[in-house]
Amino acid sequence: MPAEFLPGDAPQRGALSFEEQDFIDRLIASHQGQPGMLLSLLEEIQERQPHKYLPADYLEYLAARTGIPGAQIYSVATFYALFNLKPQGDHTICICRGTACHTRGSRDLLERMKLQLGLVPEEDDGSADKLSMTTPDRRFTLRTVACFGQCALAPVVEVDHAIHGHVNERALDREVDALRKGGA
Amino acid sequence: MPRITDLSSFNEAREAGLAKLLPPTPRIAIGMGTCGTGNGAEAVLQSFSDAINQRGLSIALARTGCFGFCAAEPLVNVWLPGKPLVILQRVQPNDTAAILDDLTAGRIPAGLALCRIDEWDHITGHVKYGSGFPEIPLWNEIPFFKGQKKIVLRNCGLIDPTDIEEFLAVGGYQALYKALIDANPASIVESIKAAKLRGRGGAGFQTGSKWEFLSKAKADRKYLICNADEGDPGAYMNRNEIESDPHSLIEGMIIGGYVTGASHGIVYVRAEYPLAVHRLETAIHQAEEWGLLGDNILGRGFNFRLQLIEGAGAFVCGEETALIRSLEGKAGRPTPRPPYPADSGLFGQPTNINNVETWYNVAPIVVKGPAWFTETGSPKSPGTKVFSLVGKVVNTGLVEMPLGTPLKTFVYDVGGGTANDRAVKAVQTGGPSGGCIPQEMFDTPVDYETLAQLGSIMGSGGMVVMDEDNCMVDVARYFIEFTHSESCGKCIPCRVGLDKSLHYLNRITQGKGTEADLATLDELGRMIRDTSLCGLGQTAPNPVLTTMRHFRHEFEDHIRASRCRAGVCEDLALSPCENSCPLHMNIPRFLQLLKEDRLEDAFVSVVMDNPLPASTGRVCQHPCDDRCRRSGIDSAVNMREVHRHIADSIYPSPRFPDLVARLSALRKPSTGLRCAVVGAGPTGLACAFYLRMLGHDVMVYDSNPNAGGMLRYALPDYRLPKEVLDREVELIKLIGVDFTFNTRVPADISLNELDQRYNAVFLAIGTWKENWVYLPGTELTGVIPALPFLESVSKRETVPLGKRVIVIGGGNAAIDSARTALRLGSGVTILYRRERKDMPAIPEETEAAEAEGAKIAFLASPHRIVGSPDGRVTAIEAVKTRLGEYDSSGRRRPIPTDEIVRFNCDTVILAVGETVDIDFAKASGLKISDRGLIEVDRYSLETSRSKFYAGGDLITGASNVSGAMGLGKKAARNIDKRLTGLKRWRDLFPKFEYDQAAPAHPSDSRRHHVRELEAEDRARTFSEATVGLTSVEAMEESCRCLRCDVRTGDH
Amino acid sequence: MNNKISIRIDGELIPATPGASLLETALAHGKFIPSLCHMKGLSSVGACRLCLVEVAGVNRLLPACTTPVQDGMSVTTQSDKLRRYRKITLELLFAERNHVCAVCVSNSHCDLQSLAQRLGVTSVRYPYTFPKVPVDLTHKKFALDQNRCILCTRCVRVCAEVEGAHVWAVSSRGVGSRLVCELNRAWADSRY
Repeated sequence: MPAEFLPGDAPQRGALSFEEQDFIDRLIASHQGQPGMLLSLLEEIQERQPHKYLPADYLEYLAARTGIPGAQIYSVATFYALFNLKPQGDHTICICRGTACHTRGSRDLLERMKLQLGLVPEEDDGSADKLSMTTPDRRFTLRTVACFGQCALAPVVEVDHAIHGHVNERALDREVDALRKGGA
Repeated sequence: MPRITDLSSFNEAREAGLAKLLPPTPRIAIGMGTCGTGNGAEAVLQSFSDAINQRGLSIALARTGCFGFCAAEPLVNVWLPGKPLVILQRVQPNDTAAILDDLTAGRIPAGLALCRIDEWDHITGHVKYGSGFPEIPLWNEIPFFKGQKKIVLRNCGLIDPTDIEEFLAVGGYQALYKALIDANPASIVESIKAAKLRGRGGAGFQTGSKWEFLSKAKADRKYLICNADEGDPGAYMNRNEIESDPHSLIEGMIIGGYVTGASHGIVYVRAEYPLAVHRLETAIHQAEEWGLLGDNILGRGFNFRLQLIEGAGAFVCGEETALIRSLEGKAGRPTPRPPYPADSGLFGQPTNINNVETWYNVAPIVVKGPAWFTETGSPKSPGTKVFSLVGKVVNTGLVEMPLGTPLKTFVYDVGGGTANDRAVKAVQTGGPSGGCIPQEMFDTPVDYETLAQLGSIMGSGGMVVMDEDNCMVDVARYFIEFTHSESCGKCIPCRVGLDKSLHYLNRITQGKGTEADLATLDELGRMIRDTSLCGLGQTAPNPVLTTMRHFRHEFEDHIRASRCRAGVCEDLALSPCENSCPLHMNIPRFLQLLKEDRLEDAFVSVVMDNPLPASTGRVCQHPCDDRCRRSGIDSAVNMREVHRHIADSIYPSPRFPDLVARLSALRKPSTGLRCAVVGAGPTGLACAFYLRMLGHDVMVYDSNPNAGGMLRYALPDYRLPKEVLDREVELIKLIGVDFTFNTRVPADISLNELDQRYNAVFLAIGTWKENWVYLPGTELTGVIPALPFLESVSKRETVPLGKRVIVIGGGNAAIDSARTALRLGSGVTILYRRERKDMPAIPEETEAAEAEGAKIAFLASPHRIVGSPDGRVTAIEAVKTRLGEYDSSGRRRPIPTDEIVRFNCDTVILAVGETVDIDFAKASGLKISDRGLIEVDRYSLETSRSKFYAGGDLITGASNVSGAMGLGKKAARNIDKRLTGLKRWRDLFPKFEYDQAAPAHPSDSRRHHVRELEAEDRARTFSEATVGLTSVEAMEESCRCLRCDVRTGDH
Repeated sequence: MNNKISIRIDGELIPATPGASLLETALAHGKFIPSLCHMKGLSSVGACRLCLVEVAGVNRLLPACTTPVQDGMSVTTQSDKLRRYRKITLELLFAERNHVCAVCVSNSHCDLQSLAQRLGVTSVRYPYTFPKVPVDLTHKKFALDQNRCILCTRCVRVCAEVEGAHVWAVSSRGVGSRLVCELNRAWADSRY
């Protein structure tokens, strides 16, 4: 059965504001005892961050309040592609690497974007092929996804949550240029 | 909110829904699935909404799901009271005004109509829309929908997915109502078993048996899980099903809960599907409010809760034990079975997991019974399956077909074949767990067992069509990269085995693979398949094992020849154009040299790559055009015409002798070795040129009095003037190649003599024998084969040609014959038994022939030639054909009809293909293949007789000039390697320093075409029909190149 | 459930207890089946796939550690195929990380090493990965050298199932899988 809520186990570190602690407490209460609780908690914590990631102090607090072992939380947070442990860029460009997109040239788009954004893959970051790279100025994050399920529009690229179909290198360049100029 | 508790409240809700579907006013419903919105459906909706408000129209506007034809999105349903529902395709915001005009006038916008629906069988309900509009095809009359049977997709694209009343109106929750009233859970389990409903997630396990296990398990709490973590790249039916019809999923699960005694349901949906999550949440909420979900459902005392969980991106969670661990708050690593989930699943409780689509089949079986269900599909796999048909087909989308439908129906009939004229190569089914099925096996019925026999699986129903532009080694590598990155890492075979497999595949795609790697890959694949812990690992090697089985030659090409024919593996190619060129010309280099105003360097670069640049510059089939990346921006760079320009600028100029001297200086010192080349056609000339440049003594034998072969004796002057060819031959003579003309092999000199006199012999005899068709009347005077006809004309002999000429055939020889006959003053009609797009001739040539006055009768198959009593041709009769099934060439087979057409004529030219006269090779020690050609090693071009090599048409059958020359070039390389034992090839080619930067912005100029003389003028003369590019134009073409050869970083 | 049943292992009739695993039963009767992730007293995870055996009437290989005995079961523990697959498995392990026996503190008291000797693994046909993996030397008494880790997860299970401490887990996935201490802390900073 899912881990029980341990009210007596106070947070170890005071990094989180009272407001944020309260947010997590209420989140835990609303999912308590339900299947999929940890996934839902992590999803909501990440969504709350402007830079869409799981900050360490949130995870510490979550572990303390739910009694779920830290190692288990870390294991889950690193297992699923959706979770980020590092802050993401202001803009996210997500290139679909599904089969239909691959057969219609999505790898070229990916290479083009790496070049455009000046991204170089880190050496052995232990994350297999789960690609997520952020520019040093934290303006852009380049990711891949296994498949958006938009195969009829292949190749597909998602720019800040808007799906673009039948993308070519030129269109993608224009999109990125527009974001660059658009400030933010 | 009306809570449904009895039949009358149920019926009330249905009436309310029906009033929305069939209102007293016209209704417009926009397809708002993710595909629709990705194609601009939001803007279309907005535009309709604004216009309706502005004009104050009485038109109901609604959203609906997706009807499945993704390639034609955005789809808009329009309905006028009493009339059929009409589906409009590719609707854009600026179409809306006209659509509204039409609708208010009681019309349907004719140009946009895709199909009509008079009435619709929602399986658990029925809707009659109306009748009329006979000019619009019925939905299942158009190719994409023909043969589809919508059971799972029964409501998709026809109702508003966010409106429970509309769902009720088409028979929704009818099955649930029946199940609860009948109160006989066991009989429903029996029905599901009798229907032989198999799990639609991939493995195809019997759903009824799984339900029976769960219903018998004793526990306080049992769980039902819907696996909607659709992770197969290339499959997206589950997304569409949930987005378009979420209530059918809920209904199926409630029924499942009722009959198995489960009180809790969970839908595990991919987080990448936000719209599906949103619509399902809405639907769950509605169902709860209406008393269809939650406590005391329909007042019958049954309780069932449904919860939605978003998966966080792990393909392995498609594996049931991994999904359960994920719901328990752990990483999604599968656990061994036993224990099976039916005994100990989620939190140790009995649990059943079914795929989304399985649940959609529940309500129809409950209402219609198992016997109805088993009517569709194959005996072992009844029912339908939804497939996502994507990749290189014209009609992409979701298709629901009876199981057992042959693969070719999907690719050619529903999918409409490929958009361009590239041949379909394979279909990949089952995603990363599946395999690639080659085109030769497209008769295969698509069901669980048959696909498994071929080493593939059905999986979730992804079907990705691949054509010649897809490299199968790359496809295998792609899937292993995918499973490698999705492997949970728990068991060794999958974690490390896939890592090592990927290593070997990477090496092969980089041209560093060895033959031993293939054996290792095969052994490793089998080991991973047999020993992995879960389904992911057990099926992950399928893409490699099937591609190695069905496309072994592609792996060998990569390993033995560092060649990726599809041009995908970029480490093996300089650029897409170079890779497509049979001579592997360094195209970006000569373009850049010209751009740098270095014409002489450009000439040396061109000639060293292709010793007949002026001829090929006129007649090459230019495969480079199809690969040029510039065509993604506007159109391909006109590479062929640029090298024609470079050659034409040097040959007649005073600089020619200097350049001959410069080329001669590149020649290697004499080796004293002697080579013979038999045949002075393009293949032989290419081989002779390179052998000479490598320092060997070369003698070319030919039966004709001059060099050039087909270029001289089959190509008409208006395509290739003889002076142009003469200059090219002169260059080859000047660098020291010797010729002996008017000498036949083996009549004048035997193979044994050649063997004695030379260190190596290259055979390059062309296809001089015209195929003869069996046709009554071919013996008549006035029936002539194409090649001898063309040869006589080019030798300036008089040819007795009538006034009305019929040419039979669709290849280049047919078009050349037609255009030549026109120039001799005859009227010409070409008979071709297939369609225009199937013609093997260069399209520009066909167009030119038509412009000059030739007529073409397509779908006309010659039946007999009619003669006069004195034995002269008077007419030809042809059977009109219609197009039947697709044959192994991927073209539709012409099938004769009863209709016969007659063409009066006095000459018939047969251009139905040419073959090699192979008689000379009999009893020569040369092995002859089944196709009547000389057998050679694919890589070295060595024949079965030592010292003897062969190339060109002699080994391939009739082909084209550049393809044949490419083989001549390859033969020279291999002969030299054999004779000297050294790898000297690369040293032969001079190095050029030139700019290595890709243009920052593509140049603005558009593609320059050659100028053609006016059709009327050119049809009267044999002078060259086209004028090459000017210097300025050639320069501008060069500047258009995107320089795909420039590599950034250390490639 | 005390009724004794019997199974055949490589032809030999052996008494067994219902509910016991094939591996336990075989080991209890002196039958050798190789394994690396199995450890007495811990739950079975079926991860190393070395204990796969052939069972008559079943068309796939079954892991002995998680397959319960059934009366009349006939098991083959040695065959050409099993030997081949076991060798491949061990070679894959050696190629995955940096197993340099000569400089390893576990040299000559190492399960991996002795199993390799026993199964006749004398060379590795696959290219070595040579990954850069961390070594945690922060703890006063212990060191964690992930160069030698084969992800058998025995340590994870001992800590969770025997100690109840839940300090360890496996992070990330695929070849990127690494042991992790709590929320990716240094061992010295863990609660234990």
